[in-house]
Parts: sequence; structure tokens; C-alpha cells
Amino acid sequence: MTKKIPVLFSVGWNACINCGACVAICPQEAGFISPFDTIAVDRPCDIACMLCEAICPVTTITHELAPLKTN
Amino acid sequence: MARYRPYFTLYLGSMDKQYDLVIVGSGPAGATVGRFAAQAGLKVLIIDKRQELGAPIQCSGAVSRHALEEVGITPNAEFIQEPIYGFGIYNQIGDCTTIDYRQLKGDEYGPEKGKKPLGYVVDRRRFDRYLMTMAERAGAIVWLKTEGLGYAATGNGHCDVQMRRFNEFLTIRTRILVGADGLQSQVGKWAGLRTHIKITELASCLQYVVDQVETEGLLEIITGHEWAPGGYAWVFPKGHGYAEIGLGVIPTMTQQNAQWHLKKFMEQSFFQKRFKNARILEIQGGGVPLASPLRVQFADNLILVGDAARHVNPITGGGIHTALSGGYIAASFLIDFLQEDRDASAKNMEGYQEQWLAALGNKMWKLHGIKTKIFHNQNIVERDQQLYATMSDYFSPHSEYKKI
Ligand SMILES: Cc1cc2nc3c(=O)[nH]c(=O)nc-3n(C[C@H](O)[C@H](O)[C@H](O)COP(=O)(O)OP(=O)(O)OC[C@H]3O[C@@H](n4cnc5c(N)ncnc54)[C@H](O)[C@@H]3O)c2cc1C
Ligand code: SF4
Ligand code: SF4
Repeated sequence: MTKKIPVLFSVGWNACINCGACVAICPQEAGFISPFDTIAVDRPCDIACMLCEAICPVTTITHELAPLKTN
Repeated sequence: MARYRPYFTLYLGSMDKQYDLVIVGSGPAGATVGRFAAQAGLKVLIIDKRQELGAPIQCSGAVSRHALEEVGITPNAEFIQEPIYGFGIYNQIGDCTTIDYRQLKGDEYGPEKGKKPLGYVVDRRRFDRYLMTMAERAGAIVWLKTEGLGYAATGNGHCDVQMRRFNEFLTIRTRILVGADGLQSQVGKWAGLRTHIKITELASCLQYVVDQVETEGLLEIITGHEWAPGGYAWVFPKGHGYAEIGLGVIPTMTQQNAQWHLKKFMEQSFFQKRFKNARILEIQGGGVPLASPLRVQFADNLILVGDAARHVNPITGGGIHTALSGGYIAASFLIDFLQEDRDASAKNMEGYQEQWLAALGNKMWKLHGIKTKIFHNQNIVERDQQLYATMSDYFSPHSEYKKI
């Protein structure tokens, strides 16, 4: 399931029930959280395990591939 | 640049910068640690990032009376939604094992005067606020709208906790930091503890509080892969004639989400007639760990308690009782520890985990073994039978795990 390319998530806020499950499953470092207690949506995730999408009870997390940093 | 200035400033209470204990999270675990520690004379600060504790609700609120009384909480109308007298455990076709204490021990349990309930469904918004109030009355300081951001040991027996309170960044010094920040715990991550939970052990849950579904003072649990792959479904009384219908599924055992399964359960299960007129009043959810406790729940100047330490029942996912009793164990340890004035190194904090294992943890590990064995069985029919039998056994009056 793991993707190598970093992904940027967006949360469909209309369906999100603020349940915290995505944060609970997320193996990212501390603080990878949005102000609304979901996984962060303002920066890419380089782990890209997609567990947050899988756990969401209302399937309201989607992602796009984030461009790899070139520096 | 001209900036908006508030007409008045919010009264924010005590601004002391140094404490014996800083507790991150005022759920059942944090508020209980705080209450007992403050009662014993420790200087305690509890912080919680929420504006209203318990909200949005991520819990069904079922807790035994014993669990409350054990830690000095007198059942109170302020937080009780409905008293509970037993259980109904169903298999996937609707056969039921009823364990009703009104029948089993009719002279002790019942709604009549002089008798008592087995437990309660509590409103977590009111329950968590009640526990926080108890902690405050015992002398703890509580700051809401205050988010813990990190911590660093200072090397002189203290640590500094960074936090943000109504947009203001603060650093508060404490002897011990208690991570009681729930399943989404960040405190454990700050300390580099292995907090990660497996996707095969976190149930994705959705629940509806509904009108027009009858209940009879029992917690009903419906097993079966057909309805809740990897987890179970439930129907709980919620007071005022309301009920709650919910379920949890393990994402790796289904292609569909919890919402899809809940709809299917309500429309197609043996309860379809009963649910026919259900009207949804509230929608809630969360992740329920059907997992083992953390192997290491302490670090330099730090311990974890409650969901943050994964103090949950691996078979039912229930965690209120274990958060309360874990909170009591943590407080007792810390009161003694701080009196002895010992160095708060990780090595010395391990005593907390040892006490917790002896009182609760070892049984949880055993339950986790039973649960893992069931879910490793690839034969769905057998697995369904085993889960039904285990749940029925677990809730029976003779279960050795009754007190977890
Ligand atoms: C759908 C569902 C149903 C459940 N049903 C039941 C049930 O019927 N019975 C039962 O016993 N258990 C049930 N549980 C489990 C139960 O809710 C938890 O085990 C229990 O709430 C754990 O208590 P706690 O004090 O450890 O953590 P929590 O109650 O999660 O409290 C943690 C607190 O920490 C705060 N916090 C988090 N991070 C920070 C931070 N960085 N800074 C400041 N504050 C922070 C949060 O705002 C929160 O108030 C259910 C769980 C779910 C998801
Ligand atoms: S992909 Fe994995 S690591 Fe990244 S945000 Fe989602 S759960 Fe967290
Ligand atoms: S898991 Fe889904 S519903 Fe729950 S908080 Fe995350 S995005 Fe929202």
C-alpha cells in the first residue's frame, strides 16, 4: 500500500465528523495535525502509508501527489 | 499595523509557571490523576485544548457503576443518560445471550428503591466536565483552550512544557508531565515512545443517536463478520427514550467504510424492523483500539495514562473504566514518588508501569492474546462463533475479566 511519492491530503470538511481516527492511526511525527484535529492538510506527507484514508469512517480524506523536492 | 484589541480581557485564572504535575488532557484519565494528586497536596495544572470537554463526542459512554465508585465518583444525574442492568449479546443471525442482572440477582439490581444499576450510559460532555470540576475542587488548576506542543527535560529534575493558550505561547515548568491526551496522543511521540497502532487493531467507528428505537436497559452487542467485520455493532440506551446504534470495522477486513456498514446493519440485519422508524439525532465516531497496551508507558519526567498509554480493553474497546482506574494508579504512584524526592529518570518512572501491570495491565495483555487468536482465524464461520462465545463469556457474571 505504501507509495514512495509524498502526498498532500485534503479533507472534505462537509463530511468530516471530527472523530480523530485519522490522527490516531497516523505514524507521522508529533504535530502532523490540522487545526480541526485531522491529519495535516497544509504540507505533504512523505510517509504516504494512506492509513488515514483507510480508517476514515466517512471516507472524506483524499490526496494528490505532491511534487518531490529538488534541492 | 493597527491590531484589533479586545474590549476586555478574558479572566484566565492562575498564571503560575511552576507545578509538581502538568497533565495534558482532561478526559477521564487526566482529570482523575489531577484530582487525586491535588487532593494529596501536589500542585497540579491540567490543560486541555478543547473549549468544551467531551465534545465532539467520540464515545458511547457505557461504564460500570463499580468503575465510578472505585475512584470515588458518586453517580450523578448531571452526567447519567440512562442506568444499565445487563447485556444482550447477539450472533449474526440474531440468537441472543441475555445477561440481565434484574433477573440474575433481582434482590440487588433493579430500578426500584434500595436496588441499584449495574452501570450507566453517561453523556461524555457532562461526564468529562464533572470530572474536571472534581479535580478543580480538589485544588487542581485547569486551563481549557490550551494545547500542549512539546516538552524538554531541563536536567535539574524538571521539564519544560510548551503550550499555546488562546494564541499565546507559554512554557510551564513541572516535575512530572502526564500524557493523558487520548488515542491521538502526541505526548508519547514527543518522548519518542513507540505509540504507533496497527491498522488491523484500530476499529473505524460510526454511531448515531436515534429517536424511535426501543431499548430495555441493556447494552446490546451484535457480533458477526456480516455486520461489522473485525469489530462489532451495538445498540445502547441513551435516556429520554433515545438509543444509539453504532459499529466499528477493521479497514483491512472490508472494502467499505463504517458508514456503509452502519447503513447495511440498520436496513438489512435482523433488527431492520426495530430500526425502521429510526431518526438520526446526532452523528459521532472515532477510532477504537482493539489492541494491547503500550509496552513502554514512561520516559524521563513523563508517564502516559488512559488511551494515550492504550489502557483499553482489547475485546470491547471500552476505555473509560481503565482510564479512571489507570488515573488512580498513576496518581498514587506519583504522590509517593514526589514525596520521596527521587530523580524522575525513565528508570525510576518504570515503577508506575509495574504497578499498573500488576493491577490491570497483565489481564489486558491476556485479553489481547484471546482477541488476537480469534481474529487470526481465517475461517469466518468459526471466527464468528468464537467472538460470540467470547463476548457472551466476557459479560457473564462469572467472568474473570469482569472488572476490566
Ligand atoms: C466510538 C467510540 C465509542 C466508545 N465507547 C465507549 C464506551 O461505551 N465505554 C467505554 O468505556 N469506552 C468507550 N470508548 C473509549 C473511550 O472513549 C476512551 O477509552 C476514553 O475516552 C479514554 O479516556 P482518556 O482520558 O484516556 O482520553 P480522552 O477521553 O480521549 O481525553 C483526552 C483529552 O486530551 C485532550 N488533548 C489531546 N491532545 C491534547 C493536547 N495536545 N493538548 C491539550 N489537550 C489535548 C483532548 O481534548 C481530550 O479532552 C469509545 C471510543 C469510541 C471512539
Ligand atoms: S499517509 Fe500515513 S503518515 Fe501520512 S498522514 Fe496519512 S496516516 Fe499519516
Ligand atoms: S477520520 Fe475522517 S471523519 Fe474522522 S477526523 Fe479524520 S477526516 Fe474527519
